Amino acid sequence: MKKSIIPLAILLLLAAPRIVSAPFFIHLMIMVLMWTVLGASWNILGGFTGQVSFGHSTFLGAGAYTTMILFLKLGIAPWYGIPVGGLVAALIALPIGSICFRLRGPYFALSTLAVAEIIRLVALNWESLTNGPVGLLITTLPDVTFWGRSVDWENKVPFYYIIAVIALAALAATYMMSRTRLGAYSLAIREDIDSAEAIGINTVQTRVTALSLSAFFAGVAGGFYAMYFHYIDPDAVFSIALSVEMVFIAVVGGLTTVAGPLIGAIVLVTFGETFRQIFLVGHLIFYGLMMMIVIRYLPDGIWGRLRLWFRTQLS
Amino acid sequence: METFAQSIVSGLLTGSLYAMIGVGLTVIFGVMRIINMAHGDMVMLGMYGAFLSVTFLKIDPFLSIIIWIPVAFLIGVFIYRFLLKNIVPAGELNTLLYTAGLSLFIANLVLLVATGDYRTIKLKYAIMPLRPFGISVPIPLAIAFGMAILITVALYWFLVRTDTGRAIRATSQEPEAAALMGVNVDRTAIITFALGTALACAAGALLAPSLYLYPTVGEILVAKCFVIVVLGGLGSVPGAIAGGLLLGVVESLGAVYVSVPYKDGIGLVIFLLVLLFRPSGLFGVGKS
Repeated sequence: MKKSIIPLAILLLLAAPRIVSAPFFIHLMIMVLMWTVLGASWNILGGFTGQVSFGHSTFLGAGAYTTMILFLKLGIAPWYGIPVGGLVAALIALPIGSICFRLRGPYFALSTLAVAEIIRLVALNWESLTNGPVGLLITTLPDVTFWGRSVDWENKVPFYYIIAVIALAALAATYMMSRTRLGAYSLAIREDIDSAEAIGINTVQTRVTALSLSAFFAGVAGGFYAMYFHYIDPDAVFSIALSVEMVFIAVVGGLTTVAGPLIGAIVLVTFGETFRQIFLVGHLIFYGLMMMIVIRYLPDGIWGRLRLWFRTQLS
Repeated sequence: METFAQSIVSGLLTGSLYAMIGVGLTVIFGVMRIINMAHGDMVMLGMYGAFLSVTFLKIDPFLSIIIWIPVAFLIGVFIYRFLLKNIVPAGELNTLLYTAGLSLFIANLVLLVATGDYRTIKLKYAIMPLRPFGISVPIPLAIAFGMAILITVALYWFLVRTDTGRAIRATSQEPEAAALMGVNVDRTAIITFALGTALACAAGALLAPSLYLYPTVGEILVAKCFVIVVLGGLGSVPGAIAGGLLLGVVESLGAVYVSVPYKDGIGLVIFLLVLLFRPSGLFGVGKS
């Protein structure tokens, strides 16, 4: 049964803009998918290795700025810039990881928060590169033809397909993570880092690799963010709030699961964006509330609990 | 030389309030091992409390802490008793995530009620700064400084001289041994959490006339709190006081001698260095 659900879900994902074409709906779907990528990115580190990072906006910001700067200064189109942004984020993760992974548990979390804040300040003040607090703006995206038709960037649908492909890749990477040695090592570290070390797992290398992979997807999502919104500034892409939102989506959805970030993004982003349409501010109130409920009553997250329920029903 | 003295003085003035916030966070960590991400939001609530007193009740913000300290104490009792108590046994990372959720909830609730506008409190008697020895001292900060010292000394006396204070220190050192010696650990935890919350709230009310108020100010303050308590050693009250004063001075010296934009970064860099190389704090008294 499970085998037939996945292709069906992918088909539905790709057909969605044909079924409902209201611009708000498509914007909502784009946001859900972008946050799925970010949640999946956080899940790769936080879910598998159990290292809680409060500084993932660093990688999102690095990807966003790389994509923007490549386009504005060198004229490289964002669709090449996005993967490069991911690679830059993955590279930045190496030194950050080798510093912060000296610390454990909550101390690691606090150190990532501090690193992210330092990087935000650097982005704010390195004006020759980042244009400082003014931010960077794209006015038009370059023309591109896809299967003989020129792509209309005024329409949101092309963005939808780009982020859908990225989201599928992120979820596939999570799946691979649960199937490979890296994933198994990571889980061992999450359960007991000292025992993992004792049986010969290189815990620093494993955690840095997981962080790098995680950072790659956050960077790719950042590149997409820049391209979709046409505008970035340090307080938008390097903010603590963004890091915290990623944590919430991954945890509320369900850690270490493949579909968790998607479920988390569907629940939180749908509500958040609808709330924002009505009240303009305070849309994160629901995020906070859900986080408290999930930690208290659903330690495996929404999807973790649902999956358990499905299994007991089906067997 | 005058600039130097000036920055030391303004650093100590702000630092005294940082110390007060830090002490609240550090006693909570010491007793319950909670890394309270919502601590900055308690400060924010105190700031809005002072704002409400001035605008609607026409009470001086510094006097208003007589109302807000008990209110914050009750809020603390409520939060611990009904929200946090069941989470604490689930481990430090779960409480960290839980209080992060609580923080977002409180900040956004205030954002909905009070909107995101920046607000200020204007005091009639605080237009001109005092100028002792050619050093400019803003009156609101000077009053806040005096009251922060009074409150911190009172707290210190409470922790050292009273039975409840001794129970708090004992639980902080070794909860199981304290329980065996007849300390009611549960009650101690409630009192400690409420006390920490009240301190944060009072510091917020004292800070309010010197800062801009907006609902997400807690985000910045909580980062500073962690810098303070880690500098002094997590769980150590004297460490938090020293850490608070130190951060205040470092920030104001940094703003003068390094650069204004990177002022907040200096504290964070020191924070990382201390975490990496002296995890028990600069004075080696905290527990890692």
